Amino acid sequence: MEQILNPLQTSLGRLKMNSPVTVASGTFALENLDFIVQEHLGAYVCKTITRYPKKGNPPPRLYETEAGLLNSIGLQNPGLDKFIAEDLPILRKTLTVPLIVSFSGASLNEFEQMLECLENQEGISGYELNVSCPNVENEGITFGIDPDVVYKLCALLSPLTNRELIVKLTPNVTDIGVITKAAEDGGATAISLINTIWGMAIDYRNGMSMLKKGIGGYSGIGIKPLALALTYRAAQAVKIPVIAMGEFITGRMLWNSFGLEHL
Amino acid sequence: MDKPRHQFLERTIYSREELCGDYFILWIWDEALGEKCQPGQFFEIRAHYSIADAEETRSLPKLFKPISIYDNAEGRIGFFIKKVGTGTNALYKLKAGDLLELIGPLGNGFPFVTGRRILLVSGGIGYPPLWYLQKELIKHNLLYWVHGGSGQNDVFPCDEIWTEDGSFGKKGMVTEGIRKLIAEKKIDLIYSCGPIPMLKECAGITNKLNIEHYCSLEAYMACGIGVCYGCAIPVGYENDWNYLRVCKEGPVFNAGEVLWNKF
Ligand SMILES: Cc1cc2nc3c(=O)[nH]c(=O)nc-3n(C[C@H](O)[C@H](O)[C@H](O)COP(=O)(O)OP(=O)(O)OC[C@H]3O[C@@H](n4cnc5c(N)ncnc54)[C@H](O)[C@@H]3O)c2cc1C
Ligand SMILES: Cc1cc2nc3c(=O)[nH]c(=O)nc-3n(C[C@H](O)[C@H](O)[C@H](O)COP(=O)(O)O)c2cc1C
Ligand code: FES
Repeated sequence: MEQILNPLQTSLGRLKMNSPVTVASGTFALENLDFIVQEHLGAYVCKTITRYPKKGNPPPRLYETEAGLLNSIGLQNPGLDKFIAEDLPILRKTLTVPLIVSFSGASLNEFEQMLECLENQEGISGYELNVSCPNVENEGITFGIDPDVVYKLCALLSPLTNRELIVKLTPNVTDIGVITKAAEDGGATAISLINTIWGMAIDYRNGMSMLKKGIGGYSGIGIKPLALALTYRAAQAVKIPVIAMGEFITGRMLWNSFGLEHL
Repeated sequence: MDKPRHQFLERTIYSREELCGDYFILWIWDEALGEKCQPGQFFEIRAHYSIADAEETRSLPKLFKPISIYDNAEGRIGFFIKKVGTGTNALYKLKAGDLLELIGPLGNGFPFVTGRRILLVSGGIGYPPLWYLQKELIKHNLLYWVHGGSGQNDVFPCDEIWTEDGSFGKKGMVTEGIRKLIAEKKIDLIYSCGPIPMLKECAGITNKLNIEHYCSLEAYMACGIGVCYGCAIPVGYENDWNYLRVCKEGPVFNAGEVLWNKF
């Protein structure tokens, strides 16, 4: 039979993908596959894991504003060991599209340790280094705002793996181009952006923040113009692929079962 | 893959009731769906996009809203709703014949028991799930239901009513009368649903008296299916606890295991 060409087929570095659409870490899990055709995705990115289990931030952790969502989850996750022992086998069994593991460390050393552990595991096509979570103190954003640190991190990890090494950047910086370039120079094979931007909502009745932690991460429709602008700048600064997020698709994908025809 | 666990549904609203104050009921009809439902479970629901005029659509909330199953008589499923914000206001505008978007039933319901002396305690919009629950329990148990609201617009049929402003029934907080009722009616089990401070007060009493107590908790939700960890609440013991998801592990919890002082 004649093979039907898929016009959406693309690649990310060495990775062949059914479509250029991936999911945003933390907003999509296996449950969501009940609503869409998995093969429509280019890759599956899991929720960020850290070296040790993280309880996450105190509630309330969410608030929907007039133009998007505030969250303060705080990277609640079972930790690397449990992820490898319990989650990874299920992901391997369920996924037909490439798995990209998102992870974050509290130090360069921890990032390195985690990568080494994950390198020993099969069924992983790439990594997304989350250096951009606005909701935690140690892991996350402290790395992503300093070009030198981003460079060091990528230079440290890129020789250790042949898998895709995506760096997920934060919009909370002065010049995204410089950071993006630092990641490329360090050996990252792709960039993804943006993670959530700092945001806040106040309950007018008592003057208190709607989130227990005060400030959270802002995603959704309100950040789209910013996300577009930063993606544009980032893409101009480097030659490696840039994956865009910021209400491009996830909102719809998460909350609707419509699938891809509505993009 | 296993068969789908979650389904996105669109159902026509076949009738709508306007109640006192800001309360209203939306009814749908689906016998197969009704068979899957249990008291204490909820649906994520949202007004179908097409009902709103074009200008309004831009500001329509994206998120589905968690709403308990209020009634389920062979597939005649009711949602008893109070308008409080954008999401519930969009639902308020729906008329018979309009489309409702649903995901569910979700979460774990109340445990079913027989031969017990049960006190039901509800506050404000905690009323609806207990209505469905008492219909199932009443044939097999002795029931007494107390409900509290802020004023005469927040009270509904039950055995005993309290209002904060004294405009209907007894004046005060619904929790004030609980100790006496437990003793008088030899209560050995409590089911509760309402605002956190009410549940906390109630749990304080049942913990002291060592009475079994299941409560249904409210949390701000985004996905409703266990993906985002936005709805987490602290559960466990002082030195061994975790944030569990209200949408997945709940919404019904053993009140003795919720860490009320960590909210
Ligand atoms: C398991 C479960 C079952 C529920 N069942 C029912 C039901 O049967 N009937 C019903 O009317 N409501 C029910 N609720 C509450 C309902 O989900 C909220 O009222 C609704 O999400 C508010 O959305 P909104 O967009 O209208 O308000 P928003 O614009 O989001 O918020 C308006 C105000 O309400 C507060 N608020 C919003 N959501 C919540 C929440 N979930 N808990 C506490 N405060 C909140 C906000 O802080 C804000 O002050 C239930 C909630 C849960 C978790
Ligand atoms: C509830 C929630 C949880 C998130 N968790 C993570 C996470 O664990 N790791 C991560 O890299 N980004 C996380 N993000 C950020 C998203 O992946 C994405 O970068 C951001 O939401 C912007 O895209 P959007 O507007 O399309 O949602 C989270 C976002 C939300 C709303
Ligand atoms: S609402 Fe997303 S995990 Fe409960």
